[in-house]
Amino acid sequence: MSLLSIHDLSLSFRGVHGTTEVLHGISLDIAPGEKVALVGESGSGKSVTARIVLGLLQELPSARIQGEVRFEGQDMSGLSRKQLAANRGTEISMIFQDPTSSLNPTFIIERQFAEVIRRRNPSATREDCIRIAAQALADTAIPDVERVLASYPFQLSGGMNQRVMIAMALVNKPKLLIADEPGTALDVTVQAQTLQLMRQLTDDHQAAVFFISHNLGVVREFADRVYVIYRGRIVEDGPTEAIFADPRHAYTRALMNAVPRITGTGLPDIPERSDSFEAPQISHGSAS
Amino acid sequence: MTLLALKNVTKTFRVNQREVQAVRNVSFDVREGECLAIVGESGSGKTTLANMILGLLGATTGEIHFRDAPLPARRPPELRRQIQFVQQNPLSALNAKRTVGSSVRLGLDTYRIGERAARKAAVEAALEAVGLEPELARRPPGALSGGQRQRVGIARALAVEPSLVVLDEPTSALDVLVQARVLRLLNELRAAKKLTYVFITHDLAVVRNIADRCVVLKEGQIVEMGETAALFDDPQHNYTRNLIRAVPVVDQTEVELRNKLGKFND
Repeated sequence: MSLLSIHDLSLSFRGVHGTTEVLHGISLDIAPGEKVALVGESGSGKSVTARIVLGLLQELPSARIQGEVRFEGQDMSGLSRKQLAANRGTEISMIFQDPTSSLNPTFIIERQFAEVIRRRNPSATREDCIRIAAQALADTAIPDVERVLASYPFQLSGGMNQRVMIAMALVNKPKLLIADEPGTALDVTVQAQTLQLMRQLTDDHQAAVFFISHNLGVVREFADRVYVIYRGRIVEDGPTEAIFADPRHAYTRALMNAVPRITGTGLPDIPERSDSFEAPQISHGSAS
Repeated sequence: MTLLALKNVTKTFRVNQREVQAVRNVSFDVREGECLAIVGESGSGKTTLANMILGLLGATTGEIHFRDAPLPARRPPELRRQIQFVQQNPLSALNAKRTVGSSVRLGLDTYRIGERAARKAAVEAALEAVGLEPELARRPPGALSGGQRQRVGIARALAVEPSLVVLDEPTSALDVLVQARVLRLLNELRAAKKLTYVFITHDLAVVRNIADRCVVLKEGQIVEMGETAALFDDPQHNYTRNLIRAVPVVDQTEVELRNKLGKFND
């Protein structure tokens, strides 16, 4: 059974200049423990999809959402705002692009951890929270746990904040972790470490990952299965190996060409628009 | 011919009564017409180096020469015009309250380039040169996409006809498709306008495809320097190897290159 199942999801925003269609009926599934990537360019609808899964866009009066999102078999449209909020940080958690701006600058790390831990366990004492947080941080191979817990985010490096965010996102043992371009705000070595750490920890916790990115190179390193999204439509999907061995959709090939190669194959010429990008979805069959 | 030369440049900052050496005894030449990349992790001193080349920071010791003459601490307008800057984040680099056109025009007015009456046309030409519609000149930067804004950043730098452009992570805030287009544009403009680039980045895959030569910085010091192709074929330093190995790859040939580098590690 799927952990997360999205069926024919569409989204539009009502604005002063009329309605903007953002998602045109996308469907995707994530099995428990599976790492699934949604890949596309800026504005393709990746991040809004993640926000719908988190139940954040449902609160926006201008957003019109249609279709079905099921988490553990339960239809999320039937959930109240309160129930959606209760899922966040416990069953579903999220890691954002820029760790330093995503943490609260006015509280030390210990206090931010306590807030998260108490979402699952409201009666946790300060000592409990420190113990749990220290263990979670130690799992991310942070050497100086006590110093980190007593620090404000600005006192830590970007790489360190990224580890803190991953530890915080996983501390309540969520079943699904949403990662929105983790590490792209950091340099390549920290990004590589982040991906390695995320893979190791989500395996340990048996958490599924919904991974959002524009870079197919990053996706290849991380995901079991890939969905490619273009202008609010899924254009290609399949197991990571199959997509990389045989990318069939013109847009997938363009995305792949766009990644600069360390072998120095030159800078590709990629068209702004192409009719072939609008071609119908290609599926490579299921992974397992 | 050498356009820019750094000679034993050191920059020391005082932080909480402690001295931190951000750049230590760095020397290299930038040849006219080349694209020289400066690579390294965050905190390696790349941006401090850029700020010194631009004259936004003074060197603590050492000298920077431009066309064989040392750059003075207070640069005359002509020298400032010659060395231009493209920043990482085009949204924060552009004044949100100015239209795109007036941001581009500011340089023309400052350095008194061309007749006043001809400057409107010059702004439009500068935007067209980077592939933007001239009509965008009337828009604020907030109404543009990330890729369009970075093109405006490039148009603004190139409008004043510099000879050297310092690009500080010009594409790391952009998605891969937009990055590919902007990198191509930068390459075409360099050839067409005979520009010299100092290209600062942490992304070695970008460097491999755009830079002629490469300087690798670690903790403010140069650990390795050379022709890009040679550096990737046989990196001498473990730090360089790890930077290359950290790049996420797509092709099997890249995996092979990475594995080859991995064997030498440790």
